[in-house]
Amino acid sequence: MKARILDRRDVLKIVDLLKRQGYEVIAPFRGRGRDTFFDTVSDENRERIELHLPNPYYPPKRYVLPHIEPLLNAHSGNGGIRIQPTFDDPKRAIFGIRSCDVAGIYHLDRFYIGREFRDTYYERRRKNLFLVNMVCTDPGEDINRECFCMCADTGPASRDHFDMQLMDLGDEFMAVAGTARGEALFDDPIFRRGGEGHLKRRAEILNGVRSHFKNTTRSWFSAAVRQITQGTVLEKTWEEVGDRCLECGGCTYVCPACTCFTVSDRKVAPGEVERVRVWDSCALLGFTRMAGGHNPRRAVHDRRNRRFFRKLEHHFIERELSMACVGCGRCAAVCHGDVGMPSVVEMIRRATMETDNNES
Amino acid sequence: MNPDDNIYLPRIAVVDRVSDEIPEVKTFYWHFEDDADQQAFRKFRPGQFAQVSIFGVGEFPASLPPSPTEDETFFTVRSVGSCTAALHQLKPGDKFGVRGPYGNGFPMEEYYGRSLVFVAGGIGLIPLRSCIVYALKNREKYDRILVFYGARSPRELMYLPSLREWERSAGIECRLTVDRKGPEDEWEGNIGVVGSLFKIPGTNIPVDNTIAFVCGPPVMFRFVIRDLLGLGFREQDIVSTLERYMKCGVGKCGHCCIGVAYVCTQGPVFTYEQIRNLGEDI
Repeated sequence: MKARILDRRDVLKIVDLLKRQGYEVIAPFRGRGRDTFFDTVSDENRERIELHLPNPYYPPKRYVLPHIEPLLNAHSGNGGIRIQPTFDDPKRAIFGIRSCDVAGIYHLDRFYIGREFRDTYYERRRKNLFLVNMVCTDPGEDINRECFCMCADTGPASRDHFDMQLMDLGDEFMAVAGTARGEALFDDPIFRRGGEGHLKRRAEILNGVRSHFKNTTRSWFSAAVRQITQGTVLEKTWEEVGDRCLECGGCTYVCPACTCFTVSDRKVAPGEVERVRVWDSCALLGFTRMAGGHNPRRAVHDRRNRRFFRKLEHHFIERELSMACVGCGRCAAVCHGDVGMPSVVEMIRRATMETDNNES
Repeated sequence: MNPDDNIYLPRIAVVDRVSDEIPEVKTFYWHFEDDADQQAFRKFRPGQFAQVSIFGVGEFPASLPPSPTEDETFFTVRSVGSCTAALHQLKPGDKFGVRGPYGNGFPMEEYYGRSLVFVAGGIGLIPLRSCIVYALKNREKYDRILVFYGARSPRELMYLPSLREWERSAGIECRLTVDRKGPEDEWEGNIGVVGSLFKIPGTNIPVDNTIAFVCGPPVMFRFVIRDLLGLGFREQDIVSTLERYMKCGVGKCGHCCIGVAYVCTQGPVFTYEQIRNLGEDI
């Protein structure tokens, strides 16, 4: 991977370069208070793009997997039906995507197009998506209480899967190209070659940032993977998780690595039907309910068990070569019952310690 | 299927004729508008399924009751939800959508040389019909073929003309039962659950070198499994096909995933040993 240096005042020129190449550029902004969000960059809001801010609640996943996405239109008339697939795959760049969310998109890549039955809709959109990753370096702004990318091994700096990565070195930024199209941007005169000093500075900053993460879930993720895979998590632990789940589905809707969807038809004009897919959630009772009412997964704790099993069981990790949890901490922030990923990993660990103590 | 194909795009199918099977269950004979689709589809295996689209209502998974050795393609569907109710409204000439075939299907070639015992309850005969017809077409490849089929009442016996034919045929031993008969039903046969057929004196069920196919409602499934294990069947020699809520049929939407298995791509056919290890109710 090639790296270049640019001045702090030139960083937003990368947005301009991408816009000139025809990309719709998405970047993070700050609302009133602590809320932050991704939005399309215009001439009007360009100066308000934030380089350091808490990662938006609502992940940038929707730019590759919209929460409501038309799949096809079916036109009826003259005794026939004509089916037309609907594609919406503009050239888009996400400027300032965090490392956890880069890992989230990589997970979606593995899931939707990494195996048999490639998802055409996802693939077309993904091919046109350019990712400018921003390394989390500001402990006060970038790192939330819930962040656990260290433990999921996705951050604070992505190792791969971005087109370009930016890291704040102070007065300068380091840019790393992850793909040929990322490297092509280095032709612009804002980029210059760096030296040993820059690499040293990068290493120092990263070492410093790593000490700012809460340490509660730092070492127990692999233990949870092992126990879920071996099926040794006690039923009462799942029941405890289920008791605290309010079945709102929030954890799945803010998750950058959740993939489930439902499909729905809607009439849009006389003789014309639009088929859309809509994000769905395994937390909801109707997720497995069949026509006629039979539901093989009725209990809340079985549905909660399902979410963590799907994310941490090693067969899935092996199959996708990626884990469906990227350590962004959004589920922990959104959950009213405090059964987001870090808490559940901790509950599994604690229950095991109790069992171990009883056995010895 | 071509890897570049759009996996969510149904092909247009046309209803040829509709026949009433039993109350609330109809069989729809159909063909693809495009003959190339028809030829590609015809390579399905017994036990596979297809996604059926009624545009404006939705899409649902349906078993394929025909055997690939038969000329006609058809679905047999109970009207139970919004999509199936909409399918039931279709008349000859009406158009709908089909995607597939999907799923693993029964490995009928692996069973060559073995005896086949089919145990079905109610509309559980729909997916097994494909295997039975396939096995009869390839009769010399298998040892004994037995069918045990039960329905709630005589009026609810599926595929009655085929059942009567199988009862008379030399190559297949077919035993029928009903849970109960009404005063107006003409029924001379056995009355009792399907497992009661196993206990009729003179019934000789092969166990060694035999595959048992079980399909029916969850409660029937549990009792039949108990009976078969009692007869000495090994868990890996009992096969079934699972039913789950599905939206895509191609391992993406997530609804049908049990344990580590996607019912749509790794199933719907599983051995009882696999089903037990998946850790969820049938």
